[in-house]
Amino acid sequence: MKDHISMRQAGIIALLIIFSNKILLLPALMHEYIKADAIFAILMLFAIEFMAVPIFLKLKRTFPQEKLYDILKRYITVVGAKLLYAASLVFMIFKALLIFSVVYVYLKEQIYQNEFVWIAIISFLPIMNHAVMSGLKPTARTMELFFNVLIAGFVFCLVISFFTPISTPYFFVSSAKDIFASIYKYAFTFGDSLFLFLIIDRIDYKKSEEKKFYFYVAFGMFLVVALFFLFYCKYQLTSFMHNNALADLLVFSVHFNAIGRLDIVAMLTIMLSTLFQMEIFCYGFCDSFVNIFPPLNKKYAVVLFDLVFLILYYIFIGKYEIMVKSTVTWLPVLGVIMGYVFPIACYVFTFLKRRQKNEKTD
Amino acid sequence: MSYFNLDKKIEEFKMLLNDSIDFASRFYEKDDQKIAMIFLKSITDQELLSEAVFTPLQLYKGDLSIELLQNKILKCSDIKEIEEEEIVDEILGGKVVLITDFSSKIIAIDLYKFPTRQPTEPPTSPVIQGPREGFVEDLQTNITLIRRRLKTKNLVLKSLKIGSESQTKIAITYLKDVANEDVVNKVIKKLKKIKIDGIIDSYYILSFLEEHPNSLFKQVGNAEKPDIITAKMLEGKVAIIVDNSPIVLTVPFAIIEDLQNSNDYYTNHHYSSIIRVIRLLGLLIAILAPGFYLALQLFHYNILPLNFLITIADTTLGLPFTPFIEIAFIFLLFQILYEVSLRLPSYLGLATSVVGALILGDTGVKAGLISPPGVIIVALAKIALYTVPEQASQITVLQIIFLILGGALGIMGIMAGMVYVVNYLNKLDSYGTPYLAPYSPRIPKDLKDAIITNSIIEMDELPKTYSPKKEKRK
Repeated sequence: MKDHISMRQAGIIALLIIFSNKILLLPALMHEYIKADAIFAILMLFAIEFMAVPIFLKLKRTFPQEKLYDILKRYITVVGAKLLYAASLVFMIFKALLIFSVVYVYLKEQIYQNEFVWIAIISFLPIMNHAVMSGLKPTARTMELFFNVLIAGFVFCLVISFFTPISTPYFFVSSAKDIFASIYKYAFTFGDSLFLFLIIDRIDYKKSEEKKFYFYVAFGMFLVVALFFLFYCKYQLTSFMHNNALADLLVFSVHFNAIGRLDIVAMLTIMLSTLFQMEIFCYGFCDSFVNIFPPLNKKYAVVLFDLVFLILYYIFIGKYEIMVKSTVTWLPVLGVIMGYVFPIACYVFTFLKRRQKNEKTD
Repeated sequence: MSYFNLDKKIEEFKMLLNDSIDFASRFYEKDDQKIAMIFLKSITDQELLSEAVFTPLQLYKGDLSIELLQNKILKCSDIKEIEEEEIVDEILGGKVVLITDFSSKIIAIDLYKFPTRQPTEPPTSPVIQGPREGFVEDLQTNITLIRRRLKTKNLVLKSLKIGSESQTKIAITYLKDVANEDVVNKVIKKLKKIKIDGIIDSYYILSFLEEHPNSLFKQVGNAEKPDIITAKMLEGKVAIIVDNSPIVLTVPFAIIEDLQNSNDYYTNHHYSSIIRVIRLLGLLIAILAPGFYLALQLFHYNILPLNFLITIADTTLGLPFTPFIEIAFIFLLFQILYEVSLRLPSYLGLATSVVGALILGDTGVKAGLISPPGVIIVALAKIALYTVPEQASQITVLQIIFLILGGALGIMGIMAGMVYVVNYLNKLDSYGTPYLAPYSPRIPKDLKDAIITNSIIEMDELPKTYSPKKEKRK
């Protein structure tokens, strides 16, 4: 079907959005706040995020061919639907900006050594725009093709950390209150399952492939938790100083087996996953835009994305801390709405639909 | 009663064919019955004309009639009745046209003959083991080569003539119980739409068959060997044979086909898998190596192992060019040498290699114009290109693109370029077949004959990639 993706491809997208900025930014920030107990915070956050999956699948089963916009329109009116899409628009652009800022800082420190913002923008924006313009199917297929390479790179980084001394981190050093505060504070970095809801009508649903979908989501979560754990095992006390968890796992494995600088594997993995995540957020932004302003097509959405992205980036340029701080101050509210309240609302919709159906049969 | 004034008719056709020097006419007269034979000497087997037409006529005692000529007298298998307006076309097609003064009917006898070579092994597809026959320029011979391998009633052969001037015969062949009907119809429709004066080679119709003719990437398969074409037809593809061309085209096409080689099926499948992995690596090295080297040298020298970095620093110190200009220069040098070696007579080829590789390369390094690592990287990329020779032209363009990306944007640019190219390829399809299948989209059953290949026994199902009519091979 035109621009439709398979359940496997949807699963891969789900896995990629689980990676989104959690593998780069989160371990160090959370460690600074609640030390190794960040593991518990992330497990709880994942547990809630995982709940979005059955809700998503139930919504898909209940409204097999319907667009999310039409479902929302039916239950929360056109204004409500447009407001939600507007929130999604903001959510997507800020996520894209956050990832871009984090990766930009990482690449600047690690390989480019000096300002290269134009190189980064020239490398990222055309790819994101091309992904949106070419449609979901080619983009999902590209992710599918690179998926194994990306996972191999990620697992390689995790495995390599075993070749340097590691020890079990100290748990239960933070209070429950701090852990819950941390959950709220970093809620913005979660809730990306929203993207799946946005593309719900473009997934070729097969009940037999639900297990596969669950597997990809669980596998993605497992990889992130494994990264957290190994990172804290390796940098028990100094994790907060190591901004880029995946790459820093390889830092002391520089001359492993005389191969040379192995951190290139982490760099390539980060670059690849970043490109895909940015594509996803750009697509999410443009999809939301087109739904808010139906007469305008994707071209306008892409142009607007580029403009907003550049303007906002220039507000935050070189102010990585401001960017990060903003995500943990006012953005958690948006994160909680998009990541947690929204899936629950969707569950209510499925319930309402079933009741309507029952009423009709009665 | 005389139906035709033969002398007048002959003169008329001679004029229609511009008084060509190869125009010929012969007469046979018996009692009051007269037969004229019109043909072109250059494309007619005159020995056969004498044996199959003249001698039987002389030996026959009795009155002549067209029916008798067709069914009894003439010793030819391909005799047919034609209309007067078809005469010129038939003569141009190598037929001998018989006009008589005792009948209004006209007959054409196929005595077509032109110089043709033997179906020898094509230079582009040599094999260590396996069939060595290759297609030739004669359509009929090529059809024979396929027919010999597919003795089935399911083999369909359809014919078309394309080219207002060349009137080139084109045969469309496929297995009717395997090939997808939509693909067959689409091919015929596209071929019928072609408006061109002449088809010199099958590559002339390639662009007309492609669904995205402006794309850099080819979307139609091709082969010069009947065993390859037969194997492709068994998978459900449609073959297009063009008269005067030894290259047979096939559709649908997926890029994996160019990583497969007929040799792979004639050796152990474990070994074939290794070779295919090497081919894939070769493809990646060919595309990315120059750009990646440039990116490392310009932007990311700190991620190079120290010893390697020292070697590069030592050899590039004092070069008059920037790294980008240096690599671009070596690249250009290799490309010029390649073009020259293709066009020079073979006896000059060795001299070119010596001048190119030894004098230009070695002296360039010694003179301090280019660095040894630069030469090695470009040479490696240029050699690796021929692990997948079918994609050589596309890879060369990609080499240049990635060279620019690596030089301008570093590794980030190369990664972005890779994602862009793959995304673009994912948008392409050839007659409904995704270009990167069976990897993207992933078609698990078709992975049996992808990079890692299984034995023939395990390939019991037809590849879904090409949407065949049936599922199982039997």
